[in-house]
Amino acid sequence: MSTAEPKLDLREGYTEKYGFHDEDGFVFKSRRGLDREIVAQISDMKGEPAWMRDYRLKALEIFEKKPMPSWGPDLSAIDFQNIFYYVKPTSEEAKSWEDVPADMKRTFDKLGIPEAEQKFLSGVGAQYDSEVVYHKIQEKLEKQGVLFLSCDQGLKEHEALFKQYFGTVIPSTDNKFAALNSSVWSGGSFIYVPKGVHVDVPLQAYFRINTRDMGQFERTLIIVDEGAFVHYVEGCTAPTYSSDSLHSAVVEIIVKPGARCRYTTIQNWSNNVYNLVTKRAVAYRDATMEWVDGNLGSKITQKYPSVYMMEPGAHGEILSIAFAGKGQHQDAGGKVIHCAPNTSSKIISKSISKDGGRAGYRGLVKVQKGAVDSRSTVNCDALILDEISRSDTYPYMEIEEDRVSIGHEATVSKIGDEQIFYLQSRGINKEEAAAMIVSGFIEPIVKELPMEYAVEMNRLIQLQMEGSVG
Amino acid sequence: MTTATAVPTISTFPGLDAWATGALERAGKANEPAWAVEQRRAAAGTARALGFPARDHELWRRIDFRTLEQAFGALDPFREGPVTRNLDDLPGALLERLGSETGRVGLVIQRNAGAVVEQTAPELAKQGVIVCSLDHALARHGDKLRERLGSLITPDYDGYAALGAALRSGGAFVYVPDGVEAALPIRLFDWIDGAGVLAAPRTVIVLGKGARATVVHEQLSDTTEGIAFHLGGTELFLGEDSKLVYGTLQEWGRHVYHYSNQRAQVARGAELQWIQTILGGRMVKTNSYYNLVGPGAQAFVHGFMFGDQRQQFHLHTLQRHLADHCTSDLLIKGCLKDRARSIYQGLIQVAEGAQRTDAYQANRNLLLSDTARADSIPGLEILANDVRCTHGATIGTVDPEQVYYLMARGLPRAEAQRLIVEGFFAPVIDRIPLEGIRDHLRQVIQWKLG
Repeated sequence: MSTAEPKLDLREGYTEKYGFHDEDGFVFKSRRGLDREIVAQISDMKGEPAWMRDYRLKALEIFEKKPMPSWGPDLSAIDFQNIFYYVKPTSEEAKSWEDVPADMKRTFDKLGIPEAEQKFLSGVGAQYDSEVVYHKIQEKLEKQGVLFLSCDQGLKEHEALFKQYFGTVIPSTDNKFAALNSSVWSGGSFIYVPKGVHVDVPLQAYFRINTRDMGQFERTLIIVDEGAFVHYVEGCTAPTYSSDSLHSAVVEIIVKPGARCRYTTIQNWSNNVYNLVTKRAVAYRDATMEWVDGNLGSKITQKYPSVYMMEPGAHGEILSIAFAGKGQHQDAGGKVIHCAPNTSSKIISKSISKDGGRAGYRGLVKVQKGAVDSRSTVNCDALILDEISRSDTYPYMEIEEDRVSIGHEATVSKIGDEQIFYLQSRGINKEEAAAMIVSGFIEPIVKELPMEYAVEMNRLIQLQMEGSVG
Repeated sequence: MTTATAVPTISTFPGLDAWATGALERAGKANEPAWAVEQRRAAAGTARALGFPARDHELWRRIDFRTLEQAFGALDPFREGPVTRNLDDLPGALLERLGSETGRVGLVIQRNAGAVVEQTAPELAKQGVIVCSLDHALARHGDKLRERLGSLITPDYDGYAALGAALRSGGAFVYVPDGVEAALPIRLFDWIDGAGVLAAPRTVIVLGKGARATVVHEQLSDTTEGIAFHLGGTELFLGEDSKLVYGTLQEWGRHVYHYSNQRAQVARGAELQWIQTILGGRMVKTNSYYNLVGPGAQAFVHGFMFGDQRQQFHLHTLQRHLADHCTSDLLIKGCLKDRARSIYQGLIQVAEGAQRTDAYQANRNLLLSDTARADSIPGLEILANDVRCTHGATIGTVDPEQVYYLMARGLPRAEAQRLIVEGFFAPVIDRIPLEGIRDHLRQVIQWKLG
């Protein structure tokens, strides 16, 4: 591979396709910075019950006390006092697409949201800055008792159910950014799938940051009742600004006995977003939790979706793709915690780094005392596409039980010259050959994506591979 | 992430000033060269600034040395070994290990805080091979040590490393000149008598261009009440195209806390074969770094640990590829019974430009009881693209099918398990250079299995 070829920006095309922004059209924007007053103001604006307001204020104290993480990517550039913590885009959540304000509608039209809803989805939510501006679910599902609301609506309309589960999977003391989210959370999805209901077609949420120096802190709570199934898909983009934004979500999922939940993320934030997310699911007897996590965008991503297998027969699966281009650091991975006998888990991670990017896998397999006959396999493969990029693998394994079978394998390599040569000798040019090899590399995960995302992912990879092989 | 970083102070070493002064006096009496005395003085300052490693430090949060830290004030860093006129004055266990080879090896025996026996066999002396205590080497071969001692284990690595450099007590020096293949194996011993000892020996081994040698370093003691502390350091320098086979076999009594830093610098075309076994001690922590600094350098590392009762072992290894076309292959096997615990924390680092790297790292763990615990943290940090790096880790129990197979052939369960465990360790034991030691290790495994 020659390096003399001019290098294309890995994320070329982002600015045109996603990097635009609307004129500021918010109805309310908190002042910059974070203190008790701001948190109280957010709570007041939302007209929340007192317990939530107290919860937020308590979380703020925890956030202030906790030090920044001493490991992982460099987050020292985040200026917590320069961020707008709450930007309310409209006065009300729209019930129909026509009611969404025109400029926002234009944005989501550009991103193809309404089209996707009609074609592929059971329900759609769209969040713009701090609030969900549109939410819709198929009537059939609504009649079956499926709830698909913004998290704020969830609290308003189903307080008892909400309160029973909120903060139980990820307490605000979990980590600094979970505490931050707990104090200023806004928007996100609240999903409840009743016993035995199968939501065959995915529910989707789309997250968009528009305002400069904005922090988005959506909160998602998903409860899948016994024997039910749901597939939730989220996508995210933001305008390309010269200053940095912060996205720090908390996602809590409860998968009851025999149920199955799949959570797919296609993270495509612009390169000025710090993406620091805490995602965790608890899976009970014979339940299955699957995370499909694609990280393409952002400046720094720290995200390790986790599955706690609480009862026998629970199964956790994490499929993770990270693509790091110029100036990007994808610190992705996953955690599986075996708390009960006969639980099983599988992690597959594929990371690609290019143009000086840094992609990595950081993971944990933990088998607690008593979790006998647990099985776990972890496979991490990394592809480094040029001499200036970097790949890291940090798998942690903590095993407190002897009757278990735990395996981890990782490889790091470049695209093989023989592979390129083989394809070239069949008349395929070098660029195409490299793109084909990369597509093949991530194929095990892409095939798990909903069709339109798989197509999009392959297209993105192809775009990013252009001109990359000399 | 896991490389040398100064760790914040949590508490200072009690009695450090008196110890440091004592160490300087001792160095004066031994006629240490001025630069070595200055090294001690500077290290004492660093030790004062760093103190005990912080509990939340990545390399310290999984092992708890607090019992040792609380007993620290009662340790004596200057306890000499008893007068040794000839080998008969040595402890029986040590003599037994030495076997009939006494006349046919280069030998340095360290007892507590000083060397008591040092001999270069005539065959080795004729070749110009130096085998002596580090104290003598400083007095006689200072020029060979000046650029090397403390160059790979720097005092700012952590508080213990600094303390060890300030209190340095004994150790061994091995030097094999250019083009010489040492005619005899070289054996180094560390022995600790009873509780209250703080031994801080430093070992330096230097192989010239094209030189070859086999060095076996054994650490053992009886078990007594109380606490003793081995704070060791080993620096290996492999010249171009040289080859060193180095075995470290640790079988301390159960009162010994062990913390050691081991560093190897491997030049162009040189080959290091390192075999490490960890069987004894109450708590054991080792940091082993393999720096491949010249093109084509190779490091092959094979280690095993077998913990029982409440033993805790923490191994940290770093395969550092700093030049192109280097190979490193590391295999660490661990077997744990009772309430023993092991932590393996390994990292492969490939520097920018270290193309054509071939690096492999494997950690295999066998748990023999449901109260044993193994953590495995293999890592990769890769900054070059034309590389082949893989690592693997497994944790499991004795395969019931294998046990069943053997039992079906008339073996009792315990015997079947012993065979399987022995088979598990065989690939490592087979690499140990001396037959007597291989037999001994098989016995220890059998004895540990009970």
